[in-house]
Amino acid sequence: MFNPFEDFKDFLSKTRGLPLDRLAAAHDQIIGELTGGYGKLVEQELKSLVWFVEHNRVIEAYKTASEVIRDIDYDAHSIEDFCYALDSGADIPYLISGPAGIYVAALCNHTPEDQIVLRLGEMQRTLHFLGYRLPYGKSLRLEGDAGNFTGSALQGGEISITGSTGDWTGAGMTDGKVTINQHCGRNTGEWMQGGEIWVGGRIRGLGRMTAGCIYQGGEAVAGDALR
Amino acid sequence: MENGKYRHTVRRLYDFIQSNLYFTRPDIHLGGERFNSTLLFTLITALTGGKALIMGEPGLGKTTAAEYVGSLVYQLPVGTVWASEVSGHPEQTEEKIIGRPDLGKLNRGQEEVVWSYFVQLPVKIVDEINRLPETKQSMILDGVDRGNWEYLNEMVLNAEYCLFATANYQDQGTNTIIAPLLDRFDILVESRYPGPSYAFMISQKQEKEKLLRHPELESKLQEGLKKQQALREKESHLTAISNEFAAHLKESLQLDTLDRSSRKEVRQEISAMELDQDANAYTRMLLAELSFCDRHGQKRSNEVCEEGCHYTGYLCHRLRNCASNRLPVSLANYAKALAWFTEASSVGIEQMRAVGPYCLAHRAQWTDTHLSLLEKDRRNDPLQIHLARQATNEVFQRYSEQAEHVKAALATAYRIFRGESLEPVAGDHPIYFEIRKDLNLEG
Amino acid sequence: MEKQLKELQQLLEQLWPEVRRRHLFPEIPPPRFDSNNSTVAMEMRNKQIILNPEYVRTMSRTLPANAVLEALLDHGISHYTCCPWDLSTHLRFYARAKEILGEGDLARKATDLFMDVVADTHAVKERQSSLPLLYKSGIRTELEEIICSLYERIWGVDLGCSKEDETVSRLATIPYLDKGRWMASLSRFIRGIRPHLEESASHIADEHTRMGKHGFQQYAPEDIEQALREFAVEADSPEQFADIFEDLQSQLQEVDGDVDEGMGHGAGSPVDANRLYYMKLAENYALPLRRKDMKGSGHLHPHSHRPWEVCQPFQDLDPWCSFGKYLPGITQIWQRKEGQIYGRKEKTPSCLVIIDSSGSMVDPRTHLSYAVLGGGCAADTYLRHDAEVAVYNFSDALAGGKEYLPFTRSRSLIYRVLCRYFGGGTALDLDEITGVAETSEADIFLITDMQITNLDQTISRLSRLRNRVTAVHVGKKSGALRFVKASVKNKNISVFGVNSSNDIPRIVLGSARNYLAPE
Repeated sequence: MFNPFEDFKDFLSKTRGLPLDRLAAAHDQIIGELTGGYGKLVEQELKSLVWFVEHNRVIEAYKTASEVIRDIDYDAHSIEDFCYALDSGADIPYLISGPAGIYVAALCNHTPEDQIVLRLGEMQRTLHFLGYRLPYGKSLRLEGDAGNFTGSALQGGEISITGSTGDWTGAGMTDGKVTINQHCGRNTGEWMQGGEIWVGGRIRGLGRMTAGCIYQGGEAVAGDALR
Repeated sequence: MENGKYRHTVRRLYDFIQSNLYFTRPDIHLGGERFNSTLLFTLITALTGGKALIMGEPGLGKTTAAEYVGSLVYQLPVGTVWASEVSGHPEQTEEKIIGRPDLGKLNRGQEEVVWSYFVQLPVKIVDEINRLPETKQSMILDGVDRGNWEYLNEMVLNAEYCLFATANYQDQGTNTIIAPLLDRFDILVESRYPGPSYAFMISQKQEKEKLLRHPELESKLQEGLKKQQALREKESHLTAISNEFAAHLKESLQLDTLDRSSRKEVRQEISAMELDQDANAYTRMLLAELSFCDRHGQKRSNEVCEEGCHYTGYLCHRLRNCASNRLPVSLANYAKALAWFTEASSVGIEQMRAVGPYCLAHRAQWTDTHLSLLEKDRRNDPLQIHLARQATNEVFQRYSEQAEHVKAALATAYRIFRGESLEPVAGDHPIYFEIRKDLNLEG
Repeated sequence: MEKQLKELQQLLEQLWPEVRRRHLFPEIPPPRFDSNNSTVAMEMRNKQIILNPEYVRTMSRTLPANAVLEALLDHGISHYTCCPWDLSTHLRFYARAKEILGEGDLARKATDLFMDVVADTHAVKERQSSLPLLYKSGIRTELEEIICSLYERIWGVDLGCSKEDETVSRLATIPYLDKGRWMASLSRFIRGIRPHLEESASHIADEHTRMGKHGFQQYAPEDIEQALREFAVEADSPEQFADIFEDLQSQLQEVDGDVDEGMGHGAGSPVDANRLYYMKLAENYALPLRRKDMKGSGHLHPHSHRPWEVCQPFQDLDPWCSFGKYLPGITQIWQRKEGQIYGRKEKTPSCLVIIDSSGSMVDPRTHLSYAVLGGGCAADTYLRHDAEVAVYNFSDALAGGKEYLPFTRSRSLIYRVLCRYFGGGTALDLDEITGVAETSEADIFLITDMQITNLDQTISRLSRLRNRVTAVHVGKKSGALRFVKASVKNKNISVFGVNSSNDIPRIVLGSARNYLAPE
């Protein structure tokens, strides 16, 4: 039978395989896996229609997030790209700020790199819980604004934010340092048990803290340093 | 003549016409040189036995270009070419176009056909074809398609011929040329205003057609054509007169022309030109865009392209009709001739891109939205050619980005077609889906 | 020196056909040399590659001259055949970069770098380019060092770079050759390169890499109109369009100072970006119209011949074309055809566009105004139909808040008045409007949110007119309902509501279609 593709039987491709093909494909795969992991978390968390911030629920979500990312091989840049993928909504149908932030926090805490830079300034929405439970020895630099509960339950890590944060910044942190170049919201340092929060601009309201210290414009405004 | 000599002869003909008879600006680049598209494609039409539609404003040399080219390529004095022309008007009859009964014999009760010069001569020119009723347009194109002409119970066969039809831009006094008829033309060119400088030169060379006149031979040819004998029997006599005219051209203008056997060899040489893989794959990609419909299986002029289709970025969304099978034939024939003319070793994407707009212009029926969007564009070409050029350029861009991928897809398809167990190469272009269909893998 | 240049020119002419072949014969004019006293290797103007002979000479000390030339041509052609390909894509990149970086010069640099990476990578991957040789040689700026390190990583070649930093890792995973993701890739690229761009901005002038800057002057004039039309649709707001357009205009004027004509303005008039935005946007909704309606005359006339068949009547036989014979197939019969005549001399009426620019309407300079867009579409439709258009732009007309443009065919003037924004209260000067309408017999297009102080009088006066009125109300304010109810009885008034973005052009054109292009 006549083969309509006969003219191409001797075709030899002149295309040169570049490392870029592999690098870009590997990156896409990682983002795909991270997206898949987030999907699993959301599936778990969205059994009820509304996601409430409850202590146990946050812990549970973080635990689930840590489990689903356990076998994913990713780096800090992938985390940032994943955040933008979340924000664009192109491949990920829903961004729920709470679980999304906890998921990103889990990613930061489990990445092998100690210094993480997330340039999130162009995101349309902000994520909550960024820097949640960031452990000793890790630093997280957030370029742009962050949402509520930034640096909550901080466990010795260092977070710096070039923009502003929302309410409950550093809530329940036990140790470490949160530096906010601009402003932060209400209940800053609520249930804080140690560590420092440095705010360059305005603090809309302080929370009830047990220990630690909060500075505004370089001067202590609450906590151990005043005692 | 040895191979390459014909090229030289044809090139000399082109240069001679451009320098002495048909003054125009060059408007296309090819093989590092600049040519005038109307003249070049008219010459190729005459050489390859094609069908060209020449459009333009009145008085800008539409018919003249065809007459000069026809005269030189077929070694006929231009007066004879004039005598064979059919002029388009609604009252034109089959008797004036094709042939009539021999009245003397008819009165004696015998049927015999007197064939028109138009039918007998290889150069067929129809002036203002759009003023002919559709039935007559169709009759001419049918005859040219097959090369045979019938009247009463008699038939004439043309061994070699070409058709040039001219048309003014449409106004209320003209008929349209309907789409199926337009499709039969291989190519559409515009005879354009040459610019004030060339136009002024025309005024200085008012008797230029005298170069191609030869009243004595014209009379001889007329006598020969009038003879009541079968065309085949007349041929040797007519050829002898043509040869005389060729000798006259050689003597007076130092111009070589092609005799019948040379023309045959030229056609063989052109036909033997091979398409390289880029030209081949690019053409397939173009055809895929011109015929593809994801929803309805193929383009059909009575079906509307839906909004929101994934393929809205491709040509299929802007077209109303489907590419006919005549389009690839015209593309290949003219691209081969261009490659031959420019001394290319094979037909490449350059030649295919050069002929693309002219082969597509009259065949593509664009949507109203697309037409209204682009009709005010700044451009040099008439709208039809401009739109076709934009379209072929767009496809070229897509091809350029994924040339190797497309060729790999076609090469893989070759192997799958032979029975190898492979996955077809996927991609975001109609061509990949058409390949799947060819492999019976759709769905 | 002259001799050297001549030799280079000869070499260029030798190489050009082969480079074109590798790039599948792009339709660009042959390149040329031009000494421009700059350190950059090349520039592109009006699709032509212009090479710097000084640069070629310098590089030829360490590399064969043909490799240098081929690499430069590969780079230039890839910009033309791959990225950005056209001005439309270039503008889109630039607009995105400016949105992220805020500053025009930084945005231009970021866009240039991104396009360079895409074009170079395409040339290396698909066109067997010698670009790696070129990048391996010569002194590099800080930015070039980063880009070369990136090339080293993504092309898998040794370019002698020492830089192995976080930026390169970020940039190396971007799918540069995936056209469908270019916008997202550009954003990623800018995020990665931004600190270095900002750092270099302070001490490096325009020529941030050896390949120079890729200004908008590389495009042909016919590209500009198309690009602006497409960009008008994609721009987030009139402000963004104006912003980008002004950058484009200033660059083009740097070159030849004559861009007005290509942008739909009369020569010499300053280009108002805001007006141009609506002009270009409205072009995307262009409606094709039949110019004059033809109809059958009701009379048959002999049109053409066809052979007579026995069953056909004798009265139509044409003896003059039948050789005096009555024989089937020889005798000719007249084929009759109904004559075509122009329909009733129904000249397309002119149009009076009445547009509300009171405080309750959107300011067309800052946000997309559906009223201006709708008015523009309507005006364009009538202009295309050889009719004239007058514009009455009002807020509180009785207090002087109005501008009236008498009937004209100047598109530029029409858009100037359409785009004017008064703010303030809303009242129509009905005597003036009805006076114009009655004397001109023009169609009326009224576009407003119907929050008109003298709405009742307006309804009453419009309903008494013999002109056809299309009233378009933006939003669902109380006046709109009153207008709809009151105009139900009046056949000369059609009312349409607009609540979402694409409604106005559709409605306006829908009415225009009914008026002007009867089926």
